[in-house]
Amino acid sequence: MSTIELAQALWLLLSATGLALAVSYAGLPVLGQGAFMAIGGFGTALLGPGGQGWPLLIACAASVLLAASAGYLVALGGSRLEGAHLALATWALAWLVDRALHGWPAITGAAEGLSRPAPAHLVTKTLGLDLVLTPLAHVVVAALLCLLALSALARFGRGPGALDLAAVREAPVLAASLGIPVAARRRLVLTVTAALGALSGAGSTILLGLVTPSDVSPLVSLELFVAVLLGGTAKWWGPVVGVAVLLALPELAGGLARLADVDVERSRGVLVAVLLLGVLAARDPLGRRLSRAGKAPGEPGPVGSPHEPGTKGAVLLRATDLRMAYQGVVALDGVGLELRAGEVHALVGPNGSGKSTLLKALVGEIDAGQVAAHARVVMTPQQSVLMRELTADQQVAVGARTHSGKPIRHLLATPRSRVDELTPVVSAALEATGLEHVRGADPSLLTVGDQRLLQIARAVATGAQVLLLDEPAAGMSVTERARLRVVLRGLADGGKAVLLVEHDQALVAAVADRVTRLDNGRVEDSE
Amino acid sequence: MLLQVLLAGLSAGAVLGLVAMGFSLVAGTVRVFHLAHGDVVVAALFAGALGVLGRTPVTTPLETAPALALVGLTLLAGAALAGAVAFVVVLPRLGGTGRATDPVGLVAGAVAAGLLLRAALGLAFPQQGYAVPDPLRLSSLTSSGLVDLPGGTTIPVRTLGVLALATAIALIAERLLVRSRFGSSLRAVADDPVAATLSGIDVRRVVLLAFVATGVLAGCAGLLDAPGRTVSVDDGVVLGLAGVAAALLGGLGSLRGAVVGGLAVGVLQSLAVHAGGAALQDIAPLTLLVVLLALRPAGLRA
Repeated sequence: MSTIELAQALWLLLSATGLALAVSYAGLPVLGQGAFMAIGGFGTALLGPGGQGWPLLIACAASVLLAASAGYLVALGGSRLEGAHLALATWALAWLVDRALHGWPAITGAAEGLSRPAPAHLVTKTLGLDLVLTPLAHVVVAALLCLLALSALARFGRGPGALDLAAVREAPVLAASLGIPVAARRRLVLTVTAALGALSGAGSTILLGLVTPSDVSPLVSLELFVAVLLGGTAKWWGPVVGVAVLLALPELAGGLARLADVDVERSRGVLVAVLLLGVLAARDPLGRRLSRAGKAPGEPGPVGSPHEPGTKGAVLLRATDLRMAYQGVVALDGVGLELRAGEVHALVGPNGSGKSTLLKALVGEIDAGQVAAHARVVMTPQQSVLMRELTADQQVAVGARTHSGKPIRHLLATPRSRVDELTPVVSAALEATGLEHVRGADPSLLTVGDQRLLQIARAVATGAQVLLLDEPAAGMSVTERARLRVVLRGLADGGKAVLLVEHDQALVAAVADRVTRLDNGRVEDSE
Repeated sequence: MLLQVLLAGLSAGAVLGLVAMGFSLVAGTVRVFHLAHGDVVVAALFAGALGVLGRTPVTTPLETAPALALVGLTLLAGAALAGAVAFVVVLPRLGGTGRATDPVGLVAGAVAAGLLLRAALGLAFPQQGYAVPDPLRLSSLTSSGLVDLPGGTTIPVRTLGVLALATAIALIAERLLVRSRFGSSLRAVADDPVAATLSGIDVRRVVLLAFVATGVLAGCAGLLDAPGRTVSVDDGVVLGLAGVAAALLGGLGSLRGAVVGGLAVGVLQSLAVHAGGAALQDIAPLTLLVVLLALRPAGLRA
């Protein structure tokens, strides 16, 4: 491998690393990394020396900024949506850029691309500096940038930020309900991904003194996507393995093409398509197998160490005269409710009586009238939401993470210490829900009861004083219900206000301090 | 002049509407973005041409028998290829409930299937572009092949023939898909796959048939679109994406909306090319698609 080839491989690795952040960490299927590389490469060539004549570094920075804004804009629409929309949007962008590069040959040089003098000179007049950017200089700079990006990815992967992204990736709705700004996170990730892609495109353009549309074509976008999928989820060395495979691809395609006497580009296309179909079928062939699977859970211990009594009876949340109608059907018709610290407040009523709507209104998901909350409010979902690939205590840590604040200190501290900071909160939440035995377990192996309790633990870990639990006993056995009863009592005794939506009359009778009965969107009866 | 541009746009748009219908059909019912759809259009046409004419380009008008064979084979190839895409990409990802479980795998798998079609086709047809004769001989509707327009300009009669035929096919297909037993199964699967399964509908079969239907529509689109210009094996992607833009414009899942969206995108393309040059033929619909996805991702009518 010559020095130029090594430098080129390193620039490609930088792009793949950026893409890995989006695909593997945030679960955003970006099929248009080539487009961002094109903006970086063609931008630098058009603006820099030989084009508009801007100083090289400024031209490079401007193109990276442009690509980053493009990434932000794509995420603006895509972030509100399912992954499939983002895949479609980035794929369309890849083709738009490709067609534009071919459509205006006078500017972009069509298939020939743009050539600039190489090696480029980095001239700083004020300092009287004139650096020649030799291939070796590229190897050094690109290697440093890759090292920086990969180690940032590795640090990030061990830190609490990765927990956020795991939640965004695996269960966006739940992540939003825990207070993680899902859309903002996705926009940030896509901006960084686009910027790294553009930086890679610019670097490789300066290195070769040449950029052509086929270097940044939609096929290249797909190749990078395959490379990142090959590397698997959330492993810093994933991009390295993927790029190694990518580098072998042209050789392989060339060999096959000679063997069958066909066009090299076409044979490369067939290879990439087959590889992509294969990788998608196996999903994470390397990463999944090598990542540590969570262990099986142990036996539950006795529940309920005594809790610190809080200020009993203080009203933490007061809703008055809530009204809501869906397409003419009245869901809430002047409902009022008070939740007090230290109390389990049961909300009962037949299906369709407005219970779920009331919960949504209380947590602020919909606006149905006046809700005065004097403490943070968190709701658990009716169905258990488990995030693939996170152990049980990590699932709880996602909740703990959302109220730990202090962003600056988080950036400076080591990832390990930032995670350690969460440990006491996680332990307390697991203890309060009697789940110490599931620490480190694979949540999909837990019993239904433990899975339901895990939802509560995650809510407890957010530190919210008001917990809205939507049918936490659903699917629980009799003994599990008994455990739930102890947990709910313990939480209330610890000073929390618990609103319990439940159909099980026995459980309600055993644990509730107050009962509100809803029917047809009205409070029938409160005791 | 403007009338010429508008009619050409409407004609191309009516064909685009057929493409958009196919995309909208599976997006609305199976909740799958069929991003290989455009490639199926082109691949079906090339498969039909390969079977009837061989790999050497033919520009002379076809006799009745080969013309019928070309039509039949193209529609069959479209159905088979779309079915194959469903078989390889979609069916393995339908969960036990019949609802697609892996949206990202589906969309990336469809992109991969499209690339595979394109690359495999490129191996068989290495030239830049191919001419395909018109099996329907729409140009011979008038002796000169032209129609006079008010204002002293003319337009190829084929343009009007394509507009009429494509619109007719779209309307018939829409009626068939709404009225038929298959249509009601399709709506049942769209509403609730689990309930559909419980009422005795074979969801996997319905999904496969929906894809086959898009394949037949793709074949029609290819047969109407290709004659009169050179076709390249790579044309499918952008054609498919323009169809997506049309489907989004008309409201994803609405078949009539797709037809209207197709007409609108066709006119937009025609006007853009008239005003800004041939490069905008592809750039205009792609820009529209990117903007639509950023601003109204669920489609205009949602």
